[in-house]
Amino acid sequence: MIVLIINSGSSSIKYQLFEIKKKTLLAKGSVEKIGMQGSFLHNIRNDGDEVKLEGEIVDHQAGIEYIFGVLISKKHGSISSLDDVNAIGHRVVHGGETFKGSVLIDDDVIKKIEEVAELAPLHNPPNLKGIYAVKYLLPDIPQVAVFDTAFHQTMPDYAYMYAIPYSLYKKYGLRRYGFHGTSHKYVSQKACEMLNVDVKKQRIITCHLGNGASVTAIKHGKSVDTSMGLTPVEGMIMGTRSGDLDLGVLTFIMNKEEIRVQEANTLINKHSGMLGISGISSDMREVQKAAAEGHKRSELALKMYSYRIKKYLGAYCAAMEGMDIVVFTGGIGENDITTRYEACKNMEFLGIDIDKGENDKIVHGKQGVISKEGSKVKVVVIPTNEELVIAQETVRILNHGKKGT
Amino acid sequence: MEQVEPIEGYALKSSEDEKRESDTFTKVGIVGCGILGQEIARMVSSYGIDVIFLELSNSKINEAIKGIKRDLRHMIKRWGMTDSDKRAIMSRIRGTLEYEDLRGCEVVIESIKSKTREQSVETRKEIFKNIEKVVDPKAIIATNSTTLVITELAAELKNPERCVSLHFISPAGDIPLVEVAKSLYTSDDAYKRVCKFTRLLGKRIVPVIESPGIISTRLIAPMINEACEILMEGVAEMIDIDDTMKIGYGFPLGPFEMADKIGLDMVIRWLDNLYREFGDIKYKASPMLKKRVRANHLGREAGIGFYRYDEERKKIVPERHETC
Repeated sequence: MIVLIINSGSSSIKYQLFEIKKKTLLAKGSVEKIGMQGSFLHNIRNDGDEVKLEGEIVDHQAGIEYIFGVLISKKHGSISSLDDVNAIGHRVVHGGETFKGSVLIDDDVIKKIEEVAELAPLHNPPNLKGIYAVKYLLPDIPQVAVFDTAFHQTMPDYAYMYAIPYSLYKKYGLRRYGFHGTSHKYVSQKACEMLNVDVKKQRIITCHLGNGASVTAIKHGKSVDTSMGLTPVEGMIMGTRSGDLDLGVLTFIMNKEEIRVQEANTLINKHSGMLGISGISSDMREVQKAAAEGHKRSELALKMYSYRIKKYLGAYCAAMEGMDIVVFTGGIGENDITTRYEACKNMEFLGIDIDKGENDKIVHGKQGVISKEGSKVKVVVIPTNEELVIAQETVRILNHGKKGT
Repeated sequence: MEQVEPIEGYALKSSEDEKRESDTFTKVGIVGCGILGQEIARMVSSYGIDVIFLELSNSKINEAIKGIKRDLRHMIKRWGMTDSDKRAIMSRIRGTLEYEDLRGCEVVIESIKSKTREQSVETRKEIFKNIEKVVDPKAIIATNSTTLVITELAAELKNPERCVSLHFISPAGDIPLVEVAKSLYTSDDAYKRVCKFTRLLGKRIVPVIESPGIISTRLIAPMINEACEILMEGVAEMIDIDDTMKIGYGFPLGPFEMADKIGLDMVIRWLDNLYREFGDIKYKASPMLKKRVRANHLGREAGIGFYRYDEERKKIVPERHETC
């Protein structure tokens, strides 16, 4: 069974073609600069064949058409005909409260995704463009939507509500939704597989630390709390996002600096986080390099970063009344030994006993346990693979032959 | 080893027959890159579109580039964008002295300044014709002028149906609204494409029937004029008149600040055109405006207008004479 995964952004489309039974990635690539000058498609086949196709790609539909074109081409293709593709899975960022799991896409589903687009005006409309394009080009192929927010729909109301007038929740759906759902779900399950334990009996804290970062409390296989909220700016300190912030700070700045909503939005999303504190970079490696050379603000940024994670570990341990596993994933979670160590050290009182030696070894896409043998809480590193989860979800929904829950 | 090939050979056979018309916007031309031209260039480029602007001399090109950079620096200071946004925006903007370089533009916007009305119409007609020589027959040719009617400017073109008046209000990047006026010739197809273009720039479209000053200029110019009358009568100080409109009515700028920003010569031209078209005395430019223009106190860009401005074009707040 062959499944194509599409992640359609505002001016780019990323894709991966999977052979599900053999768990093989046949090809992957991206279309960049859609509707702009210098647009191109970059395809990498699993045998290493790599091609860059340059030329005008006027819109998402043309982009997807060329993806199909290259995948079935004699020279660079991976399949002989589009009939070989059994289904297409789309990453959709926001499912609102409507979608609590992946779904088979039909007109009704499209309409509902359009309705929740208000909550993610930058992400859902381009996701929809990918869906429209496939619907136009291959009207009969089954399409599945997998939502970033769906995994967190199991959060209880006391965890997802904001303490603002209830009427605003009713009016606009303002509440915490959380993101990176597919990643949190995947790594929590993978960790349990690796440790040979039942996910339904575990209390897990997953730390997805990449460009965006979020931490999730997963109790017995279900997300019960997560650090991102209505938008991905809440929670962890990120490359350029502030994470948790007293709202009074923002209104103070808006007032003093005489800035409006748009500038305030850019301030907390693009000027803040590691970049804002260090003044050096949003890239963790560069901040660490500067700190090693004695740059004080970079040192401070790093301390703040790992402190924020530590704080959430404590909070979510309390929220779940205990914890059994801590998982690190994402670019920083998978590779940054210092951040992992700093977040977990001196936490023996909560059962976390990190093994410095093991921690140093698990980098560059490796998975493994980084806590000491006798540590009550197992700390593990699991490389994430969101595309594979989307592919598996697509197959699951297809096999059920009905709308998901 | 990565290979590079043209993409055309990879289109699907099934859809090759129904070649969809390419109606994306990848290159926009601007003729005349004064303040508003610069704002339009910056705004259009921030949406990932290449911008080529035409000016009369290399020094004017440099001046425009300097102005755009200054505005971007200001935006970064006010947290509105990042250094990398600025680099990306600047990389897409280029100045030229040749009409030939406008070739390939899907939209060309005329945004020049001219001294008199007669010059204004004739110069613009000439510009429209020069643009038409190099762009595709379907490319949109627009004027940012409000006090001249687009039908007159389009009349002598081979394809007048692609002309519209596209009025951005300064600061073009911040004001999410644009007035769009059709001429007698404008085709529905061209109008639709203009609407698509302006929507792409995140603007709310205000459709208007062509009329001198349309909405914005016809309302703002007499207000500035009336503020001059109030000042001349000694009713209040300039800063207090501005504050009254700002604090009292929520205007972002007071009438004098607004006039300085627009350019006092421009305000006079608007008023002259409105006076000529409507014949109403209320459009007769105030001596307060004329006096300053004669002294070359043209406004913010000149460093002095009603107010004085520092090198960063920031207003130097004057001292009040009367205090309570």
